[in-house]
Amino acid sequence: MIKVENLHKKFGKNEVLSGIHTTIQKGEVVAIVGPSGSGKSTLLRCMNQLEHVSSGTIWVNDKKLTDSSTNIMQLRQSIGMVFQHFHLFPHKTVLENLIYAPMKVKGLKRQIAEKKAKELLEQVGLSIKANEYPKRLSGGQKQRVAIARALAMEPEYMLFDEPTSALDPEMVNEVLDVMKDLGNSGMTMVIVTHEMAFAREAADRILFLDGGKLVEESEPSAFFNNPQTDRAKAFLNKVL
Amino acid sequence: MNLDFGQFVPNIPYILQGILVTLKFVSVSAIVGFALGTILALFKIGRVKVLSWLADAYTSVFRGTPLILQLLLFYHATPQLTGYDISAFEAGVLSFGLNSAAYISEIIRAGIRAVDTGQNEAAAALGIPYRPMMKDIILPQAMKNILPALMNEFITLTKESAIVSVIGVFDIMRRSQIVAAEKFKYFEPLLIAGIIYYVLVMMLTLVGKLVERRMSRSD
Ligand SMILES: Nc1ncnc2c1ncn2[C@@H]1O[C@H](COP(=O)(O)OP(=O)(O)OP(=O)(O)O)[C@@H](O)[C@H]1O
Ligand SMILES: [Mg+2]
Repeated sequence: MIKVENLHKKFGKNEVLSGIHTTIQKGEVVAIVGPSGSGKSTLLRCMNQLEHVSSGTIWVNDKKLTDSSTNIMQLRQSIGMVFQHFHLFPHKTVLENLIYAPMKVKGLKRQIAEKKAKELLEQVGLSIKANEYPKRLSGGQKQRVAIARALAMEPEYMLFDEPTSALDPEMVNEVLDVMKDLGNSGMTMVIVTHEMAFAREAADRILFLDGGKLVEESEPSAFFNNPQTDRAKAFLNKVL
Repeated sequence: MNLDFGQFVPNIPYILQGILVTLKFVSVSAIVGFALGTILALFKIGRVKVLSWLADAYTSVFRGTPLILQLLLFYHATPQLTGYDISAFEAGVLSFGLNSAAYISEIIRAGIRAVDTGQNEAAAALGIPYRPMMKDIILPQAMKNILPALMNEFITLTKESAIVSVIGVFDIMRRSQIVAAEKFKYFEPLLIAGIIYYVLVMMLTLVGKLVERRMSRSD
C-alpha cells in the first residue's frame, strides 16, 4: 500500500501540489490524468522520492517514505519506475541493463540475475535483443526493455510516467499491451498517462489532477461517463 | 641571414635526448593532474558544500596566476618552508601536476554535467547508491566527452613544459639553449627544438584523433 497524506510540494514559491490525499492498494492499477502542468509527474516522483515533499507524509507499506531516517535507497528497490524517455544505460547491452541493479544492489549472482533477466525479456517479447545496445532498438522496444529493467528488481510497485508519450503512434500498443499483462498479473501500478482509452480499460481507479489538486477520484466508468466536476468535464471534452 | 645547421649535427642527439625528459615530465605531471583533477571534480559535483567550495577556490587560484610563477614558487619556496631540497624535476612535476589538476577538474566536471540527468534518476529509481552509480553509469558515459578534452590538455602540457627549462630541467628546450650558448648561435638550436615540439604535438594530435574516432564509433 502507498498512502499519501496531505502532500504539499513547492518549487520555490510555486506550489504545484496542494494537499493530496490518496491510497494505492496492493494489486490496484491507478491512472493519473489531468492537464499539462497539473502536477501528475511531480506526484508520481514524490512516491519514490525523486522529488522531496515540502510537507505531508507518504507511507510505503509500514514505512514512512518521507521520514529523513528512512533508507530511501532500500525502499526504492521495491518501487520500479518507468520514464517517458526510457533512460536506458546506453553503454550497456539490454541484458546488462537488466542485470546491473539486481547484481549491484541486491547482490545476486550473475547466473541468477541473467536467468531472471532472460525470463523478463521473454515476457516483454525481446529475447532476441538481449545483446543489442539500446541505440539499436526502436522506441517501443526501448520502453519494453525499461519495463523489464524495473521488473528485474522484483518490485512490489511500478510507477509509470507517460510511458508512451515519446513513442511513434504505431509503437504505443506494444508497450500498453505489456503494461496490461503486468496489471492482469497482479502488479500494483500507478500510471501517469494521456492514453484515455488505456486508462479506461486497464485502470481500476482514475485520479484526476488539476492545478495541483486531486479534483476527482473514481472508477473509470464513473469518471469517463459521468464526471462530477466542471474541470473534469472540460478536460474530457478536450481529450476525448 | 645565413643558417648553418651543419655545425649542429653533432649536438642533435643531445637535444633529442631531451624528448625522453620532456615526455617523462609531461606523463608524470599528467598522471598527478588527472588523479588530483578527478578528486577535485568529484568534490565539485558532490553534495558536501565545503569540499566543492574548496575545489572551486583551488581551481580559481591555479587558473588565475601565471604557471611560471607557480613553478618558481614551488622550486624556491619548498626548501625554505619545509627544508626539503626539492629537485627541479620534482618542482616541475608538482607545479604542472597541481596546475593541470585545476584544468582537468573542469574538464571532468563539464563531462559529467553533460550526461543526461535522466541517467541519475534511472539509477536512483533502481536503488543504486551514489558510488556505483558514478563509477558504472555516469563516468563511463562522461568519458566520451572527457577524453578528447583531456588529449588537448595533454598537448598543452607538452608545449608549456618548455617553461621548466628556467629552473634547470634538462628538457628539449634547455638542451637547445645549452647548445646555443656553447656556440653563440641561437637561431638554429631553437629551430631544432621548435621542430621537435611540433612533431611531438602533431603525433599527440593524431593519437587524439584516433581516440576520438574510436569513441564516436561506440556511439
Ligand atoms: N524541477 C522543477 N523545478 C521547478 N518547477 C518544476 C519542476 N518540475 C516541475 N515543475 C513545475 O511544476 C508544475 C507541475 O509539473 P509536472 O511536471 O508535475 O506536471 P505534469 O502534470 O506532469 O505535466 P505534463 O503533462 O506536461 O507532464 C509545472 O508548473 C512545472 O513547471
Ligand atoms: Mg509530466
